[in-house]
Amino acid sequence: MALDKKTLERLAKLARIEINEKQEEKLLKDMRNIIGYIKELEDLGTDNVEPLDGGTENKNVFNSDDESVKKIKFNKEKTTGSFPKKEGDFLKIPPVFENNK
Amino acid sequence: MNLENLTIKEFNKGLVKKEFSAFEITEKFFERIDKEDKKIGAFLRTTKDLALSQASEVDVRLAKGDKLDVLAGMPMAVKDNMLIENETATAASEVLKNYRASYDATVIRRLKEKNVVFLGKTNLDEFAMGSSTENSAFKVTKNPYDEERVPGGSSGGSAAAVSADMCVSALGSDTGGSIRQPAGFCGVVGLKPTYGAVSRHGLIAMASSLDQIGPIAKTVEDAEIVFNAIKGKDLLDSTSVELKPSDSGLQLSDLENMTIGLPKEYFGEGVEEKVKKEVGETIEKLKGLKLKFKEISLPHTKYALSCYYIIMPAEVSANLARFDGIRYSRVISGKEDNVLKDIYFNQRGEGFGEEVKRRIILGTFVLSSGYYDAYYSKAQRVRRLIKEDFEKAFDKSGGGVDVILTPVSATTAFKIGEKKDDPLQMYMSDIFTITANLAGLPAISIPTRNFKKNGFRKEDLPVGFHLVGKKFMERDILGIGKYYEKI
Repeated sequence: MALDKKTLERLAKLARIEINEKQEEKLLKDMRNIIGYIKELEDLGTDNVEPLDGGTENKNVFNSDDESVKKIKFNKEKTTGSFPKKEGDFLKIPPVFENNK
Repeated sequence: MNLENLTIKEFNKGLVKKEFSAFEITEKFFERIDKEDKKIGAFLRTTKDLALSQASEVDVRLAKGDKLDVLAGMPMAVKDNMLIENETATAASEVLKNYRASYDATVIRRLKEKNVVFLGKTNLDEFAMGSSTENSAFKVTKNPYDEERVPGGSSGGSAAAVSADMCVSALGSDTGGSIRQPAGFCGVVGLKPTYGAVSRHGLIAMASSLDQIGPIAKTVEDAEIVFNAIKGKDLLDSTSVELKPSDSGLQLSDLENMTIGLPKEYFGEGVEEKVKKEVGETIEKLKGLKLKFKEISLPHTKYALSCYYIIMPAEVSANLARFDGIRYSRVISGKEDNVLKDIYFNQRGEGFGEEVKRRIILGTFVLSSGYYDAYYSKAQRVRRLIKEDFEKAFDKSGGGVDVILTPVSATTAFKIGEKKDDPLQMYMSDIFTITANLAGLPAISIPTRNFKKNGFRKEDLPVGFHLVGKKFMERDILGIGKYYEKI
């Protein structure tokens, strides 16, 4: 499957990344190269192999919230300090939905 | 006091004997950075106020007669994808240009407890994505051996800073070779610990199942000292585990009973003549330590790069979703943000560099409906096969080996710009290091010899050899490395 322009545009939209025409051209070329390369995995039979889904095979590591929270002191001012727009204790953003009037 | 080739032990000796104060030597390091870093570009910024106050504290404690750790006062550089409270942390990305960390990474907290002095934050490929440090949004770092060449990456700033004696040791992070490959290119030591040995809390995540923090240092002994200070279970990273308390280490007599495996897949075509020669000589020297060698096979090696370039971008696409322009710093966009999603598109479109966009979109592709099974799920299965290759090679009941030796990279440091426009070529430069990340194993890069003996010479670029150990057996690779350095 060669990656087409439309698919690339859809992927960029899903990833919430604005790309311009020129970037799109280069991306398309690079992505086709990379996908062409990684396709080699098709040649390898893996029918009876379980996926390895992480760096560790530990399961269900539980922490008490109290203990974790004690370890880290969150500071509201520091955490939200670089946010550009504020009103009182609130962070200000544009509306979520478009105004259709 | 000579800052060149200063190791942690020598530093500590000088400090305790009062040959210098922590404050004085910290200032000396800043003088050196001012002078040398104009050429090298290893640091994105220094943290002078923090460093001098930390150094003063060490001097006060020394004057009081407190017992201090061997790391106290040690001037260290930190890759700029790790958080130091109140300091800027950019991951070399425009999207975090104005981000100030609100807490300490666990590794930083642990080192602060030992009174380490942090000199500054070092350059990297944006979000640690790259093998040359050319992908930084801010500057290109140069190799101290030849300023026309890359220092490797992504921890290129940290490796160059250690190599050019602008710090005593440094922290890097390694997802596919990002500690070991630059260490190899710059003639210093770099350790990627076992997955889970060091907490990732406070490391700006790239690919969470592969990332590990580790030391870059001048000697294997120094790397071990830093590793021992940062390792262990952390409640804030549930993949971290408690390690056995460090024992006395490997005895010289232990080496007689150890076998090193040489995987035939790593010594084939494409390896530069100089690399072959240097690594060959290393093997001969190690034979002098009575270590036995055996050729082995890791048959799925040829699929490792493809496997990595599916799993890593998939995790990247999820991890970097958080840089939405809301939670961290905002790129000043010329465009108007009328609705919320405009912020996302403008922030990510303008803020992320080319390689980061490429990996996020590639990750989105391999995870998308219709391609998930063919790519992501397939790669996870191949990852298990790669891990099992190592388990078989290490299986003692089947005549397995204790440690595996390979070159770190197929080539010495390449020229700046040489691979920049061809991502696939760039990816190939990690071909020998990524398997240790996929399998979660500890691995170290050690210079084959002292390349700096007669100063930095571009005619003699450094080569590193690579030791891969069994899970949580850092002791083996560090032990062999330490004896090797004494030869």
